[in-house]
Amino acid sequence: MATEKTDVVIVGMGAVGGILAAELGKAGMKVIGLERGPRLSTADFSGQDELRYFQRQDLRPNAKRQPVTWRASANAAAKPLPILNYGNQAGGGTVHYGAVSWRFHEDDFRVRSQTIQRYGSSAIPKDSSLIDWPLTYADLEPFYDRAEYELGVSGKAGNLEGRKIEGGNIFEAPRRREYPLPPLLADQSGLIFEEGAHKLGHHPFSTPRAILSQSYHGRPSCTYCGFCQAFGCHVGAKSSILVTKLPEADATGNFKLLTGTMCFRVNSDNSGRVTGVSYYGPDGSTNTIEAELVILATFIYDNTRLLLVSKTRKFPNGLANSSGQLGKHLMAHITPRVFATFEDRFVNIYMGPNAQKHSLDDFNADNFDHSGLKFIRGGQISVSPADLEGGPIGAAMSMNPPPGIPRWGAAYRDFLAKYFARYAAVIAQTENLPYADQTIDLDPTVRDQWGLPAPRLTYDWRRPNELARIEFLTGKLEQLAAAMGATRYWRSPMGAGAPGAHHEGGTRMGDNPKTSVVNRYGQSWDIPNLFIIGSSTFPTMSGFNPTLTIQALAYMSADAIVNRYKKNPGRLV
Amino acid sequence: MTEHDPGRRTFLVRAIVGTGAIAGAELVPAQTTESPKEANASAQSHSGEDRHGAFFNRDDAATVAAFTERLMPGAPGKPGAHDTGVLHYIDLALAGAYADLQDFYRHGLAQLDALCRKRYNEPFVRLNAARQDEVIRALEQGEATEFTWPTAQEFFNTIRTHTMEGMFADPIYGGNKDFAGWRLVGFPGAQPIFTRTDLESKQAFSRAPVTGL
Repeated sequence: MATEKTDVVIVGMGAVGGILAAELGKAGMKVIGLERGPRLSTADFSGQDELRYFQRQDLRPNAKRQPVTWRASANAAAKPLPILNYGNQAGGGTVHYGAVSWRFHEDDFRVRSQTIQRYGSSAIPKDSSLIDWPLTYADLEPFYDRAEYELGVSGKAGNLEGRKIEGGNIFEAPRRREYPLPPLLADQSGLIFEEGAHKLGHHPFSTPRAILSQSYHGRPSCTYCGFCQAFGCHVGAKSSILVTKLPEADATGNFKLLTGTMCFRVNSDNSGRVTGVSYYGPDGSTNTIEAELVILATFIYDNTRLLLVSKTRKFPNGLANSSGQLGKHLMAHITPRVFATFEDRFVNIYMGPNAQKHSLDDFNADNFDHSGLKFIRGGQISVSPADLEGGPIGAAMSMNPPPGIPRWGAAYRDFLAKYFARYAAVIAQTENLPYADQTIDLDPTVRDQWGLPAPRLTYDWRRPNELARIEFLTGKLEQLAAAMGATRYWRSPMGAGAPGAHHEGGTRMGDNPKTSVVNRYGQSWDIPNLFIIGSSTFPTMSGFNPTLTIQALAYMSADAIVNRYKKNPGRLV
Repeated sequence: MTEHDPGRRTFLVRAIVGTGAIAGAELVPAQTTESPKEANASAQSHSGEDRHGAFFNRDDAATVAAFTERLMPGAPGKPGAHDTGVLHYIDLALAGAYADLQDFYRHGLAQLDALCRKRYNEPFVRLNAARQDEVIRALEQGEATEFTWPTAQEFFNTIRTHTMEGMFADPIYGGNKDFAGWRLVGFPGAQPIFTRTDLESKQAFSRAPVTGL
């Protein structure tokens, strides 16, 4: 058993942990980073392989050894989820993600007040725990800008300081300057999506992605190989934390990364402060780090689980949980899909960055009038391969064949043979509202490889507001497929209520210690030297992918810690 | 029971002989739902790709070969499970990455055999293609109460998944022989680069498939 002392310990070296490690290290703070998985390098990704990375999820937690269970309601038995959509290595999910990098809309930060103002409070479902964020888009804009420029994001502005620009996303919040890099090239699926969307009067654009369209900061540009979502980048053109912030953190001389380590407890004393963490080493040893500042930067399940298992006499319901909000308001993107096949052309959708290739934002957030509709909020629409990954295993696993064709046999073989290179999926990534009874807690029976109780999700998106939104957006997807020139299009089944990708919630931020776990900086209301940063703090989720917002929040927290907390370690709000 | 047990020895010898007879006589379904031409081609193709030995015994290998060939049947110019080496892929996977599914397969195959013997008095490999398809459809629909663990649908879905993996995974894993699966669907493998012309093309991509990068 080893014990060591440091200024800061960060649990989890992903989208948040890497940024904090670099920024705090630069400010002279001694940082130790704990990472459950290994530290890989670009050289590790030279053999792109759909079986290993997409199908067997080699860059994600092993669903058997690190189970997360799910049940649709408190009355149902929870079972382990077959696939876990987050990272399991230094760099976290940014190593294998599709690198889609959005700024949230202005109204994404004030969903409750926006809804009441435009449609009246009766438009909000009675059982939803919908609230505004404790910060505005304007508060976060400088940090979005910094994240885009430091990491390297490619895209085209659609709103420069209020001036709308065709070809970019005209629904985006105002930005101070252009993207640091021009948009990535569109492939055939993007071009026909663009054409079809224009026919319908929509506003399509190249999805902003943290993938380099030109060389930048010493890294080469994208080769359009198509292995992004689920894969590590073989040239380092994806702006993952692994190739951006971790080298910066190393260069400070103040950062030490411990891989293969599993934090199992946040330690605290009776003074109302945390004293550090305990973790299992790669050899199974039990070790302790004493730190002035503890930052939890894991995926949302582990942020919540760590606090739950670290309960004390003072916090019997979980550390830092005097509000009783810990583990509540779990959200996830639900993604209806329409598959489209083309007779007059090949689409070859396996080429080019594979997630959400080309997009439109006309039906996201409050960008359209919901009067007379039976739901609020919307979704981001894009063209993609079947499961955001372009290979044939992905198509065989994730694309249901059209009605009349079975999933096997000669007819299925012929379907795949003809249409694998002639299909596109049109998808909507929908914003779902927070509900207090959608939760993360500890599974009473299932344990992980370290003997810790598995995180248990209780969640079912099939609520009236969500069902109506999905039906509305699926209709839009069908219109798009037709406008794109598809000879046949059909829906994908919607499944049994399980959470999709991009989970949010569990350690909600707010401006009231009684109704939230952390403040806008991710600082615990109960314990000022404990920070929890990541999408677990999101009060609402947006129809956009969360990572750039997670990274902007990380920069904002780093700024507050370096410039204010360091001098005066107390409450920042 | 030790390796010197004469009773076990006799049993093993019989089992091997029996399986050999079954495999030799009628791995190929007598009747199929495809055209006679396709079924014929399928029969001719059963020559050299049923490699196994890392995990499956001969009985089980024959059953898996027959089952996966019904899921993805081969035809002239259209390679199927057999042609691409799906059995070889699954055999290697169960000896390695999917070792935790060994008993899943053992039980599933035993249940499949019991079901076929109960309904048709024959093991799966001896049924004609129409009957094999009937059995597979029953598993897919969960209409097979003979299955407890794995359930019929779990068993079907797993074999389907592994068949697709064997058809379309990089050949390094033992299937997708000579890129036959990739050629079937027009996937060029792990191409290190696509140009603007490639991206915008409305034509079939013509460069040969490559492995790795």
